Amino acid sequence: MRQYSLLRVLRKSPIFSVVLLLVVSGTALAAEETTADNGFLAGIDAVFSTLVDALSQVLFFSVAGLPFIVLWLIVGAVFFTLRMNFINFRGFGHAISVVQGHYDNPSETGEVTHFQALSAALSATVGLGNIAGVAIAIQLGGPGAMFWMTIAGLLGMSSKFVECTLGQKYRLVSPDGTVSGGPMRYLSRGLGELGLRPFGRLLAGLFAVLCIGGSFGGGNMFQANQSYAAIAGVVPLFEGRSWLYGLILGAMVALVIIGGIRRIGGVAEKLVPAMCLIYVLAALWIILVNLPQVPAAFGTIVREAFVPQAVTGGFIGVLVQGFRRASFSNEAGVGSAAIAHSAARTEEPVREGIVALLEPFIDTVVICNMTALVVVITGVYTDQTDSGVQLTSTAFASVITWFPIILSLAVFLFAFSTMISWSYYGERCWAYLFGDRSTLIYKVIFVVFVFIGSVVNLGAVLDFSDMMILAMAFPNILGCYLLSGKVVVDLESYMKRLNTGQMPVYR
Amino acid sequence: MTWLQKNRVLVPIDFSEESFAALQPAREFVQEPSQLYVLHILSHLHPAEPGVVWNTIDDETRKKHALEALHERLKDSEYQGVHLAILVGDPSSKIIDYAQEINADLIVIPSHGRTGLSRFFLGSVAERVIRFAHCPVVVLRK
Repeated sequence: MRQYSLLRVLRKSPIFSVVLLLVVSGTALAAEETTADNGFLAGIDAVFSTLVDALSQVLFFSVAGLPFIVLWLIVGAVFFTLRMNFINFRGFGHAISVVQGHYDNPSETGEVTHFQALSAALSATVGLGNIAGVAIAIQLGGPGAMFWMTIAGLLGMSSKFVECTLGQKYRLVSPDGTVSGGPMRYLSRGLGELGLRPFGRLLAGLFAVLCIGGSFGGGNMFQANQSYAAIAGVVPLFEGRSWLYGLILGAMVALVIIGGIRRIGGVAEKLVPAMCLIYVLAALWIILVNLPQVPAAFGTIVREAFVPQAVTGGFIGVLVQGFRRASFSNEAGVGSAAIAHSAARTEEPVREGIVALLEPFIDTVVICNMTALVVVITGVYTDQTDSGVQLTSTAFASVITWFPIILSLAVFLFAFSTMISWSYYGERCWAYLFGDRSTLIYKVIFVVFVFIGSVVNLGAVLDFSDMMILAMAFPNILGCYLLSGKVVVDLESYMKRLNTGQMPVYR
Repeated sequence: MTWLQKNRVLVPIDFSEESFAALQPAREFVQEPSQLYVLHILSHLHPAEPGVVWNTIDDETRKKHALEALHERLKDSEYQGVHLAILVGDPSSKIIDYAQEINADLIVIPSHGRTGLSRFFLGSVAERVIRFAHCPVVVLRK
């Protein structure tokens, strides 16, 4: 009996175990950092970098100068755009009217409205990819990277449509009314329908493993790392104390995902749309102030997209950077968003797929381009001293001197809400592999990665994040190819009913 | 009354066919269906689950839905009067606590034998129930 009660105490207060763990390790680190530069933190960094180097040999082998996974994403997006007969353009108007709630039937199965599902998915996609990722793309690929990011965003709308339609189509509804969907479900159940059950389960398992990795990388460490870089510049307390930032951020994430203190998460989720708006307005202001330079900036962007100056890898280099950072930011083809979109209340899978195609548009074509224009117009990208989020911050500061303070707040909120959302994606995949009962183990590991991400250097974090998130596209797009015939049939039937006025309008 | 006759028998149900199949043997231990106690355990939802973020679902609505589903499933006359309960939390702890609360004198539980990696992490639910339950436990094998 005694053992049982001890187990229960630990089980009921895992939050204390985690906080305790973080505090103990943090105290040790604090002592370390004051004495030597190459102490424990550098140790973590070195081990991590070695690991990442080994992994990238496998995942990023090159085909005709293009990393395989980038080629895979481009071919997938082009294929889906053609196969779905340019749904990314022809579905746009309908998507807006669905999001406005005209087709919401409250008695249909699901958890949330179309608008709410879109917003939940956006809180995972709008993150540091939009602020820091764009700056990185322009630094490494030149201004032309922006052109390819936009193209990737527009084509990505079709990939997003296909994966989110499939997410809805093959979701599972539990007896308690909750919904569970995503690539794990459509790969296993959908391919099962095609008589490819073992192969489908293999792809689903592979996806789940990579998604857990992605939730630690792009969904976690990259966010922690770049939000630290933004905060350290404006809050002197954190300057040179990445461990302290890692501890605080880790504890906050733990409170929400382990402690179940939803209010903190709720506040962040609700502030994100407001922050998006402020960010876009500030970017527009900077563009307006520099209006005379805009035509020249566009000229540079288009010219550099085809004939890049001083970019490693030339034309291919800039193309790769654009597509890579766009996929990283809007996750089209990666499959993660299908997990959130399958919660929408509808009996029409295609309808949610059409809503989902707005996501790459908002994320990449609107928000990423704002960042890119600001970075290009202000000319800060030629400066080699800043990297990632600091570059974006410098660009904004060149016009609005006090903006870095607002920006770091926005960065913190984006990072935090992205981490919470990605911990949900990762948790769903963990539950798919290991069952619901052991998700606590996943959450504890997730919190530990928040800390690691804060203290490890950008290069290693960026590579790991990229690898995991982009690699998810491998099983996902492969499954989407095989299932695209079913999506086409559903889409045609849907469009036919819509155009002949057979779709009930509720509002 | 023999030692095989029980007053209160608890049957944990996870909506799998194996778990519903446990009802028949459980029924044989009691005289009336009203002596059967069926329990379903829901896991906690992640705070970023879309329905949680937008407050469209919570534990109350989930319990209501799950209870309706159980009623639907057990509407046959042979199960008229069976007690139904839904709790949220860790399955094994909740089963053990609930058994104590209703003063059950037997728990009938199926063993899926398909736990694989989750068994490696935590052990199976049946295992933990056997170890910590206050009353006898019958584990059904396929």
